[in-house]
Amino acid sequence: MKKLLVMSLSCIVMFFMLTSSPSLGAASPETFYKGKIVRLVVGSAPGGGYDFNARILARHLGKHIPGKPKIVVQNMPGAGSVVAANYVYGIAPKDGTVIGTVQRGIPNSQLLGEKGVQFDAPKFNWIGSISRDAAITATWHTSAAKTIQDAMKSEVIVGASGATSDNSIFPKIFNNVLGTKFKIVYGYQGSAEILLAMERGEVEGYNGWTWASVPQLRPHWLKEKKINILLQVAMAKAEELPDVPLAIDLAKDEEGRQMMKFISMVMSMARPFLAPPGLPPERANALRTAFQATMKDPAFLAEAEKLKVEVSPVTGVEIQKLIGEAFAMPKSVVQRIKTAIKN
Amino acid sequence: MLDAAMSAFVIMLDPGRLAILLTGVLIGLAIGAIPGLGGVIGLAMLLPFTVGMDPHSAFALLLGLGSVVTTSDTLPAILFGVPGTGGAAATVMDGLAMSKKGEARRALGASYSAALLGGLFGALFLGVSIPVLRPMMLRVGSPEMLMFCVFGLAMVSVLSGDAPLRGLVSAGIGVMLSLIGSDPMSGILRWSFDKTYLFEGLPIVPVTLGIFAIVEMADFAIARAPIAGNIKYGAQDSTWAGIKNTLSNWWLVVRCSGLGAILGAMPGIGGSIIDWIAYGHAAQTVKNPENFGKGDVRGIIAVDCAVNAKEGGALVPTIAFGIPGSVSMTILLGAFVMHGLVPGPEMLTTHLDFTYSLIWSVAFANIFAVAILLLFSNLFAKVALIRAGILVPCVLAIVFVGAFAGSHNWGDIYVLIIFGLVSWFMKRFDWPRPPLILGFVLGGIIERYLFVSVNRFGMSWVERPVVIIVFVLILVAFCKPLLSNIRSLRHGQYSLNWGRPLIDYSAIFSLFIISVIAAALFMSLEWPYAAKVIPLSIGIPTLILAFASLLIQVFFVHKPENDTLLDDNRTIGDLDPKEMTKRAAVYFGWCALFIVMAKIAGFLPSIFLFLFLYIKFQGKESWKAATAISLGMVFFCWIVFDQLIHIPWPQALIGSVFPALMFFTSF
Repeated sequence: MKKLLVMSLSCIVMFFMLTSSPSLGAASPETFYKGKIVRLVVGSAPGGGYDFNARILARHLGKHIPGKPKIVVQNMPGAGSVVAANYVYGIAPKDGTVIGTVQRGIPNSQLLGEKGVQFDAPKFNWIGSISRDAAITATWHTSAAKTIQDAMKSEVIVGASGATSDNSIFPKIFNNVLGTKFKIVYGYQGSAEILLAMERGEVEGYNGWTWASVPQLRPHWLKEKKINILLQVAMAKAEELPDVPLAIDLAKDEEGRQMMKFISMVMSMARPFLAPPGLPPERANALRTAFQATMKDPAFLAEAEKLKVEVSPVTGVEIQKLIGEAFAMPKSVVQRIKTAIKN
Repeated sequence: MLDAAMSAFVIMLDPGRLAILLTGVLIGLAIGAIPGLGGVIGLAMLLPFTVGMDPHSAFALLLGLGSVVTTSDTLPAILFGVPGTGGAAATVMDGLAMSKKGEARRALGASYSAALLGGLFGALFLGVSIPVLRPMMLRVGSPEMLMFCVFGLAMVSVLSGDAPLRGLVSAGIGVMLSLIGSDPMSGILRWSFDKTYLFEGLPIVPVTLGIFAIVEMADFAIARAPIAGNIKYGAQDSTWAGIKNTLSNWWLVVRCSGLGAILGAMPGIGGSIIDWIAYGHAAQTVKNPENFGKGDVRGIIAVDCAVNAKEGGALVPTIAFGIPGSVSMTILLGAFVMHGLVPGPEMLTTHLDFTYSLIWSVAFANIFAVAILLLFSNLFAKVALIRAGILVPCVLAIVFVGAFAGSHNWGDIYVLIIFGLVSWFMKRFDWPRPPLILGFVLGGIIERYLFVSVNRFGMSWVERPVVIIVFVLILVAFCKPLLSNIRSLRHGQYSLNWGRPLIDYSAIFSLFIISVIAAALFMSLEWPYAAKVIPLSIGIPTLILAFASLLIQVFFVHKPENDTLLDDNRTIGDLDPKEMTKRAAVYFGWCALFIVMAKIAGFLPSIFLFLFLYIKFQGKESWKAATAISLGMVFFCWIVFDQLIHIPWPQALIGSVFPALMFFTSF
């Protein structure tokens, strides 16, 4: 009888032990992370830019997190990283063992009401971004449009991939706000195809081209002056482009400025990393601090230099602020953007 | 140019570099042989290791891996009908048929030697075309690319065998399936039923594995015999015989390698398209093609040299313009950037010797790969003798995990099973499967190129010279086999059957297909014009043809002379239909059981349970065998898929109820 009692008691104790979530309790970050594995979920397929950046970070971030956990990268492609964002937001454990990186346009996807969004961007614990960047609009040197003003006078044929990509959203907004005459040709698979089409003379220009990738992929175009850069989309001008007008500055009225700001803001979180909402605050802070420390880590910087990865870090707090501003935008602006894009 | 080539040759001969190349080759061979993995994963993982190396060695490693994945992917295709990568799907046609006839070694020998020759040809093609690379690529615009892809689609008529109508319907369905997801022009989600899984379209890996692997394994499970049936291993079968076959068909090799290299140079046309085009071309141009699909070694030769030549070809746009010629090339581009090499004119002038070392890497990699494979081919061929009770569950386990590599989502598994089930019925009822795959891989690309061509050039794109030439070629390629099929059908026995229309399961299946197409078309009616123009233009003729096929089937009694391509029902042979249905139900029941187990207990534990239960109770093997094999397979899967690739396993029920068990990621 006693044996039965002891056995059933230990079963009950075991049951409670097993069903209790290990995330509760005030374990310090160091104790929590010791010996654990942190999964870095990447919202795109292996081999692309986001994946590449994520893997570099993964090799260095671990040693700056108290407890020095191991970081493992897992790809979760789908729906322009909406799948990964949904996962980190709602499905992943909220104890700090899962962090993610998504495409920079994720907050805008939510604001514009894109299908499938099951997250609330301001509620994420944003950890930081490896770089901020500018997106340029470039035309081939044979095009009649050598400045943005030229683009307002006559039609400029530009290549684009799909209705939800920057390379088609940007020209639509420019047409709406600045009165430019971009004619968008859809169907190209990505920047590589569009750039080839430019060289062939099939299209004249390309919007939303990440400036950081230009010296990596086409330095000779810059050297030989094969392209005109019409404008740059960012919150502040890129160092190397002091004379290229900023999209925000080109807007003529306040609503136009707000619209330009909408697309420019996410450029400041070009390679964003985030953690689920509801994380214990000490752990969220530990992650943000660790991220900033990694951005200054000489080993990380050396590898980034070798791999030609741009490092111009943005803190998690800054990202949180930017997103707050985006979500505080007047509904009329968001509505006008939605209409401009639908066209 | 020649001295750049020679100096690169000498650089590559460095033993340290060759060792690095060999490492890449070994990893690449392993990746190619495991269905569902692709070269991309291996390349992404190896990339960081190349940081400290000099450029020549770095690319020796990467190209060593990338060039050989399409050599070993024919191994599972020939041995058990499971394509290792998309490019091996066409090899299954004749490769598996030869294995069934006890000719596995000859098939392998032919496959490897063809792959070697194709790979060398691709490297040669790259080396020779360097001066004309850039001007050549600049001439080819979107309208020309469109026509090349449509030409690929025209191969459908050849691949339909004796069922031309159904082949066309199959291709039409394939095209419509490829359009699932976000429409490029309007952003509207087509046929995605609000599932984020489908926003970017159906992933190709689970679809291909479902159409081929699940179906072929089903037939082995049903037949309950090893692949080679009860055929004794004759002294007839030898690897060397296969090699001799390849050499004697040298003209076919040259043509198909050329085709592969040129097509490989076009971005967007990958292995899964090139294999069928080469197959179709071979079927149309060789003497006595009646045996294609039944174990004609030329079917293997044509496909494998083309697919291997494509790697060399894919380097062309990558080096000349920085446009990835294939998915693996995207990673290579990253590697270029890493080492400060910019694709473009520099690669063909200042860095010419480096470009040549790339070519030599491809050449050496192919040689090493084939040497290694040939050494072990006797061992591999013995796989054809493994009993179905052991082979089927092992292959299924790998296929399930491999399918999951599609997009790391439960959706992959559902797609796998659904396509497997429907394709099994297609095989039973003589609906050709190759056109389905062809339509699926080409549909989306054709739509995009069509949009670009029309939006950019209006209707004048049809007046471009290359477009007109290719159009004529398309007409010939499409109509010739179609007409000869129709003619031969007329010669078959036909009798009108007004009195008693034949309504059997086959007719019901046809009705099912028709209703699915009709439902899809109905849903598309409310989309904006740009989103529905292609679905309707393809869907309506498809529906009409499907209907016509049903009418003919029901009202005419026709005895076909040959089986349709690949649908040779000889595995099952003379099994009584009731017994066959029962066994099929059991097989798919096991598949469903695996899914249920995986949802509850997690992927890896279910693999163990599934294997153990199947081998012991279905295969009726001993306890020892069941335990040993199950443990071995789980260990293997754990090492490769969990420790090396870090697949994010989906959360299982057991993990939600007992969070403490979550330390094991599979839960």
